[in-house]
Amino acid sequence: MPRARALDRLVNAARHPFGKATLILVLCYLVFKYGVAYVPPLFGVRSAPVPASVLLQFMLTALAGVLIWLSEDEDRWRSFKEPIRAVLVEPDKGRIRMALLVLLPLLVGVLAYQQVKPRVVAPVGLRSIHPAPPGQITFRGRTMRIPGLENPLRAGAEGGRLRQAYERGKRVYVQNCVPCHGDLLDGFGHYAHGFNPPPLEFTSSGTIAQLTESFVFWRIAKGGLGLPPEGTPWNSAMPAWEDFLTEDEIWAVIIFLYEQTGWSPRTSEETGAAAE
Amino acid sequence: MRGTNLKIALIVLLTVGFYTLVANVIPQVESEVPRELTLGPGVTPEELVAAGEGVYHGPGGCEVCHGLGTRAPRLLTAEGALGLIGARCGLRVGGQDCKAYLYESLVKPQAYLVAGYEPIMPDMSRQLSPAQIWAVVAFLQAQGGEVTVTTDDLGGALAPGAAAGGAPAAGAAAPLSATMDPIEIMRGLGCFACHVFRGEGGPIGPELMKIGAARNVEYLRESILKPDATIAAGFERFAGLMPKDFGQKMTAAQLDTLVHFLANQR
Amino acid sequence: MLAALAALLLSLPDVALAQVAARDTAGAYGYFPGIGSRAAVWIVAQLHLMFAAFVLGVPIFAMVAEAIGMAGGDKRYDRLAKEFTRLLLVAYSATAIWGALLVFTLSSLYPRFWGYLTQVFSVSMWIYAALFFVESFTLYLYYYGWDIWKEGAAKLWHLGLGVLLNVVGTAVMFIADGWLTYMMTPPASVRPETAPGTVGVWTAIANATWMPINIHRTIANVVFGGSIVAAYAAYRFMAARNEEERQHYDWMGYVGNFIAISALIVLPFAGYWLGREIYAYNEQLGITMMGGFMSWLWIVQAILIGVLFLAANYYLWVGMARIPGAERFRPYTKWMLIILVGGVIVWATPHTMIATREELVAMGGSHHPFLGVFGVMSAKNTAVNLMILTTFLSFLVYRRANSRPVVSWAKTATWVQGAIFATAAAIVVFYGVYGYFVPAIVRIGFSVYQVLAVLATIVSVTVLDIFLVRGAESRGAIRWGEMPERSQYALFILAVTFTWLMGLMGFARSGIRQHWHVFEVMRDTSPWAATPALGYAAQIISVCVLIFLGLVGFVFWLTSLVEKPVPAALGVAPVARVEPRFAPGSTGE
Repeated sequence: MPRARALDRLVNAARHPFGKATLILVLCYLVFKYGVAYVPPLFGVRSAPVPASVLLQFMLTALAGVLIWLSEDEDRWRSFKEPIRAVLVEPDKGRIRMALLVLLPLLVGVLAYQQVKPRVVAPVGLRSIHPAPPGQITFRGRTMRIPGLENPLRAGAEGGRLRQAYERGKRVYVQNCVPCHGDLLDGFGHYAHGFNPPPLEFTSSGTIAQLTESFVFWRIAKGGLGLPPEGTPWNSAMPAWEDFLTEDEIWAVIIFLYEQTGWSPRTSEETGAAAE
Repeated sequence: MRGTNLKIALIVLLTVGFYTLVANVIPQVESEVPRELTLGPGVTPEELVAAGEGVYHGPGGCEVCHGLGTRAPRLLTAEGALGLIGARCGLRVGGQDCKAYLYESLVKPQAYLVAGYEPIMPDMSRQLSPAQIWAVVAFLQAQGGEVTVTTDDLGGALAPGAAAGGAPAAGAAAPLSATMDPIEIMRGLGCFACHVFRGEGGPIGPELMKIGAARNVEYLRESILKPDATIAAGFERFAGLMPKDFGQKMTAAQLDTLVHFLANQR
Repeated sequence: MLAALAALLLSLPDVALAQVAARDTAGAYGYFPGIGSRAAVWIVAQLHLMFAAFVLGVPIFAMVAEAIGMAGGDKRYDRLAKEFTRLLLVAYSATAIWGALLVFTLSSLYPRFWGYLTQVFSVSMWIYAALFFVESFTLYLYYYGWDIWKEGAAKLWHLGLGVLLNVVGTAVMFIADGWLTYMMTPPASVRPETAPGTVGVWTAIANATWMPINIHRTIANVVFGGSIVAAYAAYRFMAARNEEERQHYDWMGYVGNFIAISALIVLPFAGYWLGREIYAYNEQLGITMMGGFMSWLWIVQAILIGVLFLAANYYLWVGMARIPGAERFRPYTKWMLIILVGGVIVWATPHTMIATREELVAMGGSHHPFLGVFGVMSAKNTAVNLMILTTFLSFLVYRRANSRPVVSWAKTATWVQGAIFATAAAIVVFYGVYGYFVPAIVRIGFSVYQVLAVLATIVSVTVLDIFLVRGAESRGAIRWGEMPERSQYALFILAVTFTWLMGLMGFARSGIRQHWHVFEVMRDTSPWAATPALGYAAQIISVCVLIFLGLVGFVFWLTSLVEKPVPAALGVAPVARVEPRFAPGSTGE
């Protein structure tokens, strides 16, 4: 009965300290790699894959434990070493020896290659897309308080003047903003694909619809470099437009953004209420 | 015997090497020495706030307790109906305005204790300079309030060199930094030696306070690059005094910023 | 060509020197070529400290061993004590040399700071020197008088010398502790403008962390002394020339390890007290230490202590093969191992994990949503307390293995012991889990309950055990010398790890001052004021450990030059079965 014999051999191998040690390590790997990630969700507990660095640390600890278990008893230690010794010296194990001689260096080579091969990986960091604005900014040497700042073009503006501001803003937008933010204001300008993170779009409910005009003014005037650290200023290509546009032009383009998308800006009262 | 010694040396080296390796693969964080804060007399509130923010997150180490923890009141987020620290600072102690309250909290932290917290805050004057402390006060005021810290408060905390000379002596020769702040550019170029602007400077050239009302962008650009092309009325006797090499001293972007800035002064 | 290279090499420090000189016009700092002043003082101070710990820890060890020998009449202990006192003579001069070097480097490289310290502490420095003098001569008397005062009342007088040696040595350490704790936690009355001459010496010495450091260091010295003794024994065991030596050094390794681990078990509690005092002195200092730029240091520390626990237990388990009767406990070691490995995994799980961008996205931040549970103090306290309990259990089993209690209540007492263990483990786990459901301020109190439960278990079970095995029958003589070589590696790893850990904790204690010579009193304005990252610190620590171990090895070799082979009469009594010693299959029967 060759099948029964094969099963017996398998069971014997699993009972052997070498087999046990291998099984324990494989089991540990499965638990750390997949168990931690997928078992807690079955019970409604949130989990995630274990980072490679922590996985390595856990496996090294488990390996130390297994080695201690193997070698704290003289018999176990000896029978653990037996198959290793057999593969290394016994004449009839020549084929396995040769296979190992080829496979092990190959494995080391693959691992080494994986480690050193050039990779393009962005620096690790968490990015807050809409960080808290500063209390005040210096716009071309003039101090402006951001909280509560209103769009002067809106104040008491009847339809005609708002229309003029919209037209001015439209021209500013087409001349300066379209290449990145796109002619549909959807963030897909000609150059948008060159940027990561991509240029902001204005059409969805998640961007300017959630912001006050003063916030938008701050973002346009100071650009990516003006972001606080949590907004990762090094990770934005937005220029500081205060160097190129006048105050009036910025307010005008803000009018254009809101009129064109149909959103209305969040008002300061609402922000105040939200802060409470 | 030699074999034994070798084995032992190997064990020792492996153990020591393993620990060194572990300590070197984890993120390396160095504790930087805080920069000394040097503030000139013309320091703007925004500069103070920026410096204060640096101190708050850096050498002051404020956020470790005042951040998200429960050890101390959170300063950068609202505390119930009282709002952010800049809004609530004036309401803490009767008769004490925001600035005085914040300053006292930093240098005499046990003088007033917010209910519900332990008296654990150290006296910050032991590790921060007076200028740094005032910068932190300004930063905290900026969190929902008005910055009222002025150069008068800073007083003796100002850098001695800057206090005496006003504009840095860098003036003529030193290369200008890449700043885009027009005030900084003008200060760096030494404009205030001759032109009056917001109370600074001398009466050798035209005042720049409302210059934009009378001059347009093109005129201003020419006046900076070729000072003798047009001499303003009333200043003929100073003709030829203004340096002609400003074009070499700033970048095109700086020049453009400066010109637009001046044109907006109406 | 070579000359040009040499000139280039020589000019490099000059360039650096010129820069330093430009920054430091007041002459407050000297310059050490190549590695810089900070690293120079660091290495010298660390080596002085390691030797000092050695010459303070080993006399405690020697005194205790001598006393045990007197009380029990076992000559082995007396011989052990004397052997170590001989090592002390050389180690003592090494300590003095490194101490002198430290004074010279400090006064030449940090003259302004050294001047400040001498102005504050001048009186205590004289007392220190005088006590050092007394200590040296007590040591000479202690060693050279060993064979003269060895009987009756004279032996008692000799033991008295040993006590005096330890008292004076500890006093010397306490004074030096005053100096260094002053740098970390100067009294609140001292301000930057305070003239150093006006600071009272006693006020300066008796600062907030002085006593905690004293206690912590005294215990740590015992641990260190024990582990170095064990490593020495391991070396001699591996190099043994005959069976007697083998037996003697096997036994010595066991004693050294026993003392080191016993003291290690209480060391975390002393460290806990020190940490509390640091927090109480200045919240920010404590946070810099635990949560600030040093937070990763504690993960490294956890790994080192994990190695300590695993190695110590491993040594005991392997050693059980030479104890008749220990087979009864064999099946349980794997469960203890599982607890220990689990404890190490939990204890070393970082709160903020190193992860790539994709992993961070998957975790939704640098905290793992599930493993983050193990990242906080509750889990770590629980893990370490369970590990301490397990290690204590290993010792207990080792001790009990060879004896068959004769008292009538033996079975009951064993059950009671088991119940105490179970209760302590339950308390530890309960408060560990409950800690997640209460605010931080309540949770901190829980660790005290956990510690008390473990301490109470250790004390009560030990007392019970002493009475239990009194007059017990032996299950057969312990076969000393019958130890595989790999168990001795564990002793080396223990010694190296202790030494390295000492360097690491020294960096932590000294580094939390950051850019201050004296915290918030005297600024470090030198080019080396920034506190280096852990990787650099680890390299310096490794260099110190290697130099120290090299020198200690040299000391061992020196003393072995004059040594005669162990006389059989003083060795362990011959045991029934010596041969075949380590032929495969001879053990575990």
